[in-house]
Parts: sequence; structure tokens; C-alpha cells
Amino acid sequence: MAERLTLSRQLDAHAARRRLGRLGATTLEPAWMGLWAAPLGMTGKSPGAWLLGAKEMQRALLLTGAELPVQVERPDTGIQLTGATAPTPEATQRLWLWERMAAPRLWRIQALDTPPTPVWLPCWLGYRAGRTHQLTVISGLSGEVLSMLKPLVLAGLARAHGHTQAGNEKTLPAG
Amino acid sequence: MEGFTPIDMTVLIVYISLIAWIGSRFGKDQHSPEDYFLGGRKIPGWAIGLSVMATQASAITFIGAPGWGFEGGLERLVTFLNVPLAMIVLILVFVPVFHRAGIYSIYELLERRFGPATRTLSALLFLIARGLATGVVLYAPALVLSVVTGWSVNLTIIIMAVLAISYTVLGGMSAVIWTDVIQMFVLWLGALMSIFLLVTSLPGGWSDVLTFGAQSGMFNAIDLSFDPSVTYSLWAGLLGGLFLHVAYFGTDQSQIQRVLSSPSVLDAQRSLLIGGYLLIPQMLLFLFIGVILATYYQQHGLTPPEDLNELLPRYVVNAFPTGMAGLVIAGVFAAAMSSLDSALNSLSAVTVRDFYSRYIRQGASDTHYLKASRLATVFWGLYATLFAFFAGNLGPVIEAVNQIGSWFYGALLGTFLLAIFSHRSNARGAVAGLITGMLAVWSVSSLLEVSWLYNNTIGVVVSVSVGYLVSLTSAAPRAEQLSDVIIEETAPDMQAVLAARSANAPEIGREARLTRRRCIGLLVWFVVMLGLLALLQRWANG
Repeated sequence: MAERLTLSRQLDAHAARRRLGRLGATTLEPAWMGLWAAPLGMTGKSPGAWLLGAKEMQRALLLTGAELPVQVERPDTGIQLTGATAPTPEATQRLWLWERMAAPRLWRIQALDTPPTPVWLPCWLGYRAGRTHQLTVISGLSGEVLSMLKPLVLAGLARAHGHTQAGNEKTLPAG
Repeated sequence: MEGFTPIDMTVLIVYISLIAWIGSRFGKDQHSPEDYFLGGRKIPGWAIGLSVMATQASAITFIGAPGWGFEGGLERLVTFLNVPLAMIVLILVFVPVFHRAGIYSIYELLERRFGPATRTLSALLFLIARGLATGVVLYAPALVLSVVTGWSVNLTIIIMAVLAISYTVLGGMSAVIWTDVIQMFVLWLGALMSIFLLVTSLPGGWSDVLTFGAQSGMFNAIDLSFDPSVTYSLWAGLLGGLFLHVAYFGTDQSQIQRVLSSPSVLDAQRSLLIGGYLLIPQMLLFLFIGVILATYYQQHGLTPPEDLNELLPRYVVNAFPTGMAGLVIAGVFAAAMSSLDSALNSLSAVTVRDFYSRYIRQGASDTHYLKASRLATVFWGLYATLFAFFAGNLGPVIEAVNQIGSWFYGALLGTFLLAIFSHRSNARGAVAGLITGMLAVWSVSSLLEVSWLYNNTIGVVVSVSVGYLVSLTSAAPRAEQLSDVIIEETAPDMQAVLAARSANAPEIGREARLTRRRCIGLLVWFVVMLGLLALLQRWANG
């Protein structure tokens, strides 16, 4: 399996703080979401954009650029959210067909016949404590709110929380 | 009285060609996928909002609203007074749910929540209703062409239909946001110029308009009557109109499509905000032109045309300086094409996604589905053309579009509200609610004297009540059927996870919440507009 590439975080903590603050969050933390990037472009040409998704997502995220904005370093600070599964090439093709139906001007761009690359997508998670605790997910690339990613992020957080608790129980003295 | 001169015709042809060139230059012929995507992202939010407005209503507003104002003054503004409130409901309720669900057609949400029957039925209702309304949208530019050329409206409908269908099948240009913005400004320029020319042609200028308007009760925009048969009472506008616009902007795929395609919830909100702020002033502008035209006709002893939709186009053709008439008529054409293109595209997209690819041909190639969508465009174009022949009998085009929607969309809105708010409701209840909601609207509107503005309210109340009660007769929905409408983080175990993470995360500090600020802004705008109308009415009545 191909090595998971790390997309470089372009929204720093200061900008994320401002953005999430406007959205009502009171605390924030960085996170990395494990997804798959499928190349898009004209047939026979190099990619011009990428479709970021996972099997569990109903719609994919669109990332423009001929190349993925990767960094050499592995994800540094921030929780790594895993658990999503890779979409099949057929599912990616179909997903892209419906995107093009929704926006006919994209018709000439096709999902290229290359296997999707696993990536770490940088995100910022904002928390708000009111009557209930609420979560806002924004992209660490553009700062856009990623509502569609929320179920995957919540599942990842629950899994990470479960691991932490299991770890704590292991370290407790017996008896 | 200059009429439509050869210079106007030249301006019209040059303008349409220029818009088509911009459309093909910036919409279809880019060389890299990046151009396509970045093209959308470089455009400021206000331009996207104006473009949404342009595809929504610009041509039919230009043609229909002055006729409305001529007939009833500003009283019909109550129909639109609720738009800021409707946008608040959309921003708070529908946009977050639709966006989080990650859907292409909003009827998919109903399938996940209630099963395939509800999705199919609701998508079918959309196709029927939007197809009929597209007929009215087609009628509008055909009428203008008829005024310009003197040909019969039926002939110009066929010409317009051929143009609109070919244009959409060939790719259209609604994706080019700047052309929509240009059209919007051309139409507003046309409106302001009409006001200037009309008012300066009156001996007393503005005082003639104000005196005539006040004497004939045309500034009485607020009617506090509780009688449900009063079509344009304030209550019909607020209660009925609110449901009308929530249903129109929230459950019609052709309207909500851009919201679904927005990259984020905030962008989706922004496009609704522009409509929330600008629709009332725009409607006021065009209704006021109707009042000025009424003054003009009265002072000059003229007989108005039988079809009041012809009022403004006729005035533009006859009174505007050479060249300007061509420009404004071209703006109407281009705006109508943009609306038709957008409507036909959404009709064919729903046909292919919600019907063809599910029931007729599953798993076909992309090219096959493209061909199917083009055939669907032709089919819906013909369907709209048939209805366009009758659109002239429906009165002002702007009211006709809303009335058609009001027969169907109330029950549809009720079904969406059940899906989102009632976690007990299920498939049986949803289908029962949808059908009885629509039957109730048709029964009430044909048997009782009730303002058509209440149609959506009746549809919502009946479909929600019946839907909920019938749901109690069968099992509650499974947890996975509620996953799109339940906010995932409210589950107790998830709350514990979020509390733990939040406690260890750095603080941001308090700042105003953007969504709340936006909604408060719309609420203030609604109060300001209502207050201004009340002041105008008070002044007019001494």
C-alpha cells in the first residue's frame, strides 16, 4: 500500500483561532484526517485537481492544483483521525459523474485512471460548550467549514478516546 | 416614440453575441481543470449572490412586477416582505442539514430518511411544478420578442423555446457568474432609466406620482385585515408568504442547487443573504415603476394593454433613446436565458439522477448519462413550451410562478420538516402527509375563498399533522435513517468525548458568532422594511 502523504497545513493557529472564533467555538485543536486523493484532469494530461474522500463520505472534497501540497515531514502536533476506508476506483468515478451533473461546466474533466493516494488532510477542530458540546471542523488548507467531514471526525475522536481510556485502564494498578 | 430601431436591433444582437462569447470564453474553453475550479473561487461573494438573484427572478421581475404595481400599487409587496425571515429559516435549519448530508439532489435526503417512495414522489412533484413554472419563465422573453417584432406571442414562444433548448443542450452559460451580474445591472439600469424618463415626462414630476399614488390608495402596502380571503393582507404575506418562500427556496432543487454546490456552509449562507437583503428593494423598485406607469397612463389618457406583462417592455421600446432600448431588451433576453438554462439543467439532472439512473438504466457509462440528460432537457423544454402557451392567461408572470409553486411546495416543505424535526415520523407517515397535504391545498383553493398565499401554510400544516399521526401507526425509524438529521455530537457518549477534548484544548476567546449576526441582520432588515412601508402608508393617508 502506498505511503500516506501529508498535506501541509496552510492555516496557522492564529488564523484558525480567528476563523473558529467567528463560528462560535471557544477552544480549538489541530487534527489530521486520513483520506484518499483521486486525481482529476483531461484524459491523457496531468492532473489539475483532486477529489478528497473516503468510502464513508457521501460527497467528496475538491482540492485544486496540479500537485498535492505535500510536506516531507509526517504530521506533527494534533490528533490523527483514522478509521476511514479507501473508496474503490468505480465509486470515485461515479462520485465525480454526479459532481459533473450538478455543475455541467466541469463535464470535460474526468477522474483519471490512477489509484487514489492516501493522504493526511490537516484540519482544525473547534469546540463550543453550551447546553451541549458542539464541534466545528474547518480545513487546515483553506479554512472552509467541512460539515461533510464531521461524521468521520466524530468517529475518529470516539475511537481515539476509546484507545486513551483502554490505555489508562491498562496502566492502573491491579486490585 | 421611437420604437425598436435598427440600431436597437444591432445593440441587441451585439449584446447577446458578447454574452455568448464571454460564456464560451470563460465557461467552456478553459484549458486546464484548475482554471475551472479557480474561476469560481476568485469571484467575490457578492457577485455569486447577485448571480443567484439573476437566475432566480430577474427577467420575470422586470416583466411581471410593473404590471403587478400598475394593478395593485405596493399592496403586493407583502408577498416578499417575509423573504429575510425565510432566509433565516433556511440558514438555520435547511442549509446545515443539506450541507452535512452531502447530497446532490435534496430528494436524496428524503430517501435516506423515509425510503425510496418518498424520494420518488417528491422528485416527481418538483419536476411537475418546476416544469410548469419554466413555462412561465419561457413566456416572459417570448412576450418581449412579440412586443419588439409585432409577431404573435405563440410564434415567439416557439422561437424562444428552440433557442433556450438548443442553448442549454449546447452547454449554456449560467455557470459564468459575471455575465449574470452584468445582466442584473443592465436590468436595474433599465428600471432606473424608466423611472427617470417617466417622471420627467410628467408635468408635476414626482409630486404627480405621489399625489396620484396617495389618492388611489396605491401606497397602502399594509392591510391588517384578518379576513383570510383578503389576498394581500399583512398576515397572508407574513404567515403564508413565509412558508411560500421557505418552500420555494428550500425544497425546489433548481433554487437550492447552488447552495448544495457551495464549498462551505458559510458560502451557502452568503448566497442566501444577498437575496434576503435585495429582493424587497428590487421588488419595491419594480412595483413603484408600476405606480409611475399608472400615473403616466392616467395623465396621458392611455389605455393599458390587455396583458399587463407588456407594460414595461412596451414603454422601453417606445420611450427609451435609440440604443438603450436594445440594451435593456437584450438584458431581459439574456437574463431569461440564464433562468431557463438553470431550470432546464436542474430538471434534467433530477430526471437522470432520481429516475433514469435508478429505475431505467443503472450503472451505464458517463457518456450514456450525458446523452440521457440532453434528451431530458429537450423533453422538459417541450413540456414547458406547452404550458407557456397558457401562461398569458395567468396574470402577472411573477405571481403565476409563485402560484404554481404554492400548489405543490407546501406539502413538500412539510415532508422536509417532518424529516428534520420529527424523529418519530416514518415512511408511511411521510407519503400519507405528502399526498394529503397536496389534496388539502387543492381542495381549499378550489372550494374556499382563501388567499392563495396561504396555500403553502395549509400544505405544511396538513402534511406535518397527518404525517406525524400516520407515523404513529407503524414502527419508529431505525437509527441509521436518522443519521442525516440528528446532530451526531448530541449522543451522550459523544458529549463525553467532546467535553474531554475541549477541556484539554486551548481557548479561543469570545467573538460574535457569524451565523447569529447574519440572522439578526436579516431580522433588523425585515423590521426596517416593514417600518418604512408603514410610514409611507401613514403619509399617503394623511
